[in-house]
Parts: sequence; C-alpha cells; structure tokens
Amino acid sequence: MTDDRFDELMRDAAQTYRKPPQPDFEAMWNAVASESFGVANMTRRSFRFSRGIGIAATLVLGIGIGRATVTLKGATPKEVPVVAVAPATARIDSLPEPAPYSTETSQYLGQTAALLIALPSEVKAGRANGQFLGRAGELLTRTRLLLDSPAANDPTMRNLLEDLEVVLAQVVHLDNNQNRTELDLINRALEQRDVIPRLRTAAADISAN
Amino acid sequence: MANTVVAFQSAYRVSEPDLIARVLAGDRIAARELYDAHSPRVYRLAFRLTGDADLAREFTQDTFVRAFAQLARFRGDSALSTWLHRITVTVVANAMRKVKRFRERETDLEDVHPLGSDSMGVDPVLRERLHRAIDQLPEIYRTTVIMHDIEGYTHTEIAEVLGVAEGTCKSRLSQARAQLRTALADLAPELES
Repeated sequence: MTDDRFDELMRDAAQTYRKPPQPDFEAMWNAVASESFGVANMTRRSFRFSRGIGIAATLVLGIGIGRATVTLKGATPKEVPVVAVAPATARIDSLPEPAPYSTETSQYLGQTAALLIALPSEVKAGRANGQFLGRAGELLTRTRLLLDSPAANDPTMRNLLEDLEVVLAQVVHLDNNQNRTELDLINRALEQRDVIPRLRTAAADISAN
Repeated sequence: MANTVVAFQSAYRVSEPDLIARVLAGDRIAARELYDAHSPRVYRLAFRLTGDADLAREFTQDTFVRAFAQLARFRGDSALSTWLHRITVTVVANAMRKVKRFRERETDLEDVHPLGSDSMGVDPVLRERLHRAIDQLPEIYRTTVIMHDIEGYTHTEIAEVLGVAEGTCKSRLSQARAQLRTALADLAPELES
C-alpha cells in the first residue's frame, strides 16, 4: 500500500472512526454542577421533565409564602388580636429566605447570564430563532414570578430582576430580521445598567451563602 | 452590527486565568463558562477513545468533576485544555482497565453516525478493517493515533497530555501506523488493482 493511499485512509478514518454524536451538554452540566457545587440533583434521563416540575413547584411555593408574608406584614395590630399578631409577625419576619428559592434564583441567574452572554453571537450567527426567543420568554416569565416572590425582598436583587425584566422583554421582541437597532438597544441597556457584572455578583453571592 | 457584537463580546469576555480564579471563589457562572468552552472537545476525545456515547458522557462528567475539585492545583504550566485532556485520558484509561469488556464491545448501532456525506470514496470493507485495526492497537498506540490522526492534536500537545517526550510520541505514532498497515496488507492488492 502506498503512503498516499494510507494517508487517504487515515483522513477518511478521521471523518468516520467513532464519529461522536451530539450529546446533551446541558444535562451533562447539571450532573457536573450537582456533584461539584451541590446543586439540587437531577437525573440525566428525565432532566427536562423533572426540572420543569421542580421549578414550577418552587415558584408556586415561593409565591404562596411571599404573599402570605406580605399579608401578615401589612396587617395592623388593630385588625388582628394582639395575642396572635406578635408571635406570628415575629416568626414570619425571622424566617430566612426559603432554601428552594436560593436554588431556583441561582439557576435562573445562571441561565439568564448564559443567554445574555450568548445573545450577540447567536444574533450574528442567525440563531436567535424561535427556540432562542422562546427561552428568553421563559426566563422573562420566571423573572416576573421571582419579582412577586420573597426572592425580591432584597432591594439589590429586586433592582436586578427589574432590569432583567426590561432587557429580557427587549430580547423577546427581537424580530426574525435580526434588527440591528434592537440589538443595539439591548446592548446599551445591558451596559448602562451594568447587568452582566451584577448577574455574576448576585450568582456568586448566592453560591457563597 | 458586527462591530457592536465584537465590542459587546470583548466587554464581557474574561481571560481564562480570571475565570479559574472566579471558579475557585465559588462562581458557578464562571464554572459554566469553562465547561462550555472545553466540554465539546473533552467529549469528542472521550467518545473517540471509548466508542460509546454513554461512557463518553460519564467520562466527560467525571473529567469536569475532577477538574473542578482539583482546580486549585492547576498552576498554569500548561494550557487548561491540555490539563483537562490529561484528566480525560486518565479517567478513560482507568475505567477501561477496570472494565475489560469495553475492548470487545461492539459499537451500538444507535451510536454509529451515518457515513454517507463524509464518505471519501473509501471501500467500506477497508474502512471497517481499519477501524477494527485501530480498536485492536495497544492502548498507548491507539491513544496516540486517535489524538494525532483522528482528533488532530500536535505531537507537542499529545506529549504534554500523556506526560511523555515528544520523540516518544512520534515513535509511538510510527509504530502504530506500521501495525495498521500490516493489518490492512492483505487488502491492499485489491485496492490498488
């Protein structure tokens, strides 16, 4: 066999020998994050399903707690018997932010940061399509749910969520023509509001806590 | 728009040492960025070495779990990618030694990528023979061939990943190719006729 023929075979092998299929990198990351950083464990095979259920359950729980907190905080002593108010108010006020909220908020911040960082390249590559915008829409919904939850009790977090709501709303309305003006507006909003660095800081703070 | 995109990306792009420092400080977003940057190539290497999608996923995950656990020990003497690929090769080699059956394992049909568009006009019989011959190479030769000829690593990179001299790497590749040519020798006359 000639050297040229052998080289040709090896070039063919580079294309055909154990050609890797496309794996689910997102699910793999969740497994890595779970083991490395102690994030809520998610099985790989049912990842998408369990994740959706988990987020929904956490949000519903959180909103319920949030509204209960607001109601109790808003109650005046005259409206509620004294004996019941003092301990109840003290107890609710002393409750830390529910642990599931930290996890949910942390995941949300990470996913939002990933989307916003990827936005320019996705637009440039013409991949800011329905799926991408759908993800932005999902994050916008979660932003609004979090704004109505105890996660937004912290003023810094609330400001960040409000800014993200504005930016994500702009992303959701990017049209398929990849309008440059729209992208410029989003970039300007990100820069003026210092969104990405604040996202990183917030995520790091939650991880540290 | 291109200028805007570049300006935006450069404004938020951070260097790898900075990312590593952030990961060490507990920043999970930085960890995710490192993962996004390196996981495709780590997975490719793991898959090429194992030929099994499930194992490649497991080994890729193991690689990053180990990497994040040991990141404080990374001193930057080599590129982070080299360090990660060294972990990958170690993880794969250790696992393959423990589970001998992988050597004889047939590649699952679902893992086989359609060859049609990538075909270079090579006889399928010869291609299959070459693939089997690569599978049957001794581990050190097979790893070298896969990294150099299949995945396109340089000898310098392979030497760093495997912890051997560059000359050793070249020698192994030469030996491996000789064995492959021997394995294909009986088919060569047909092909050249």
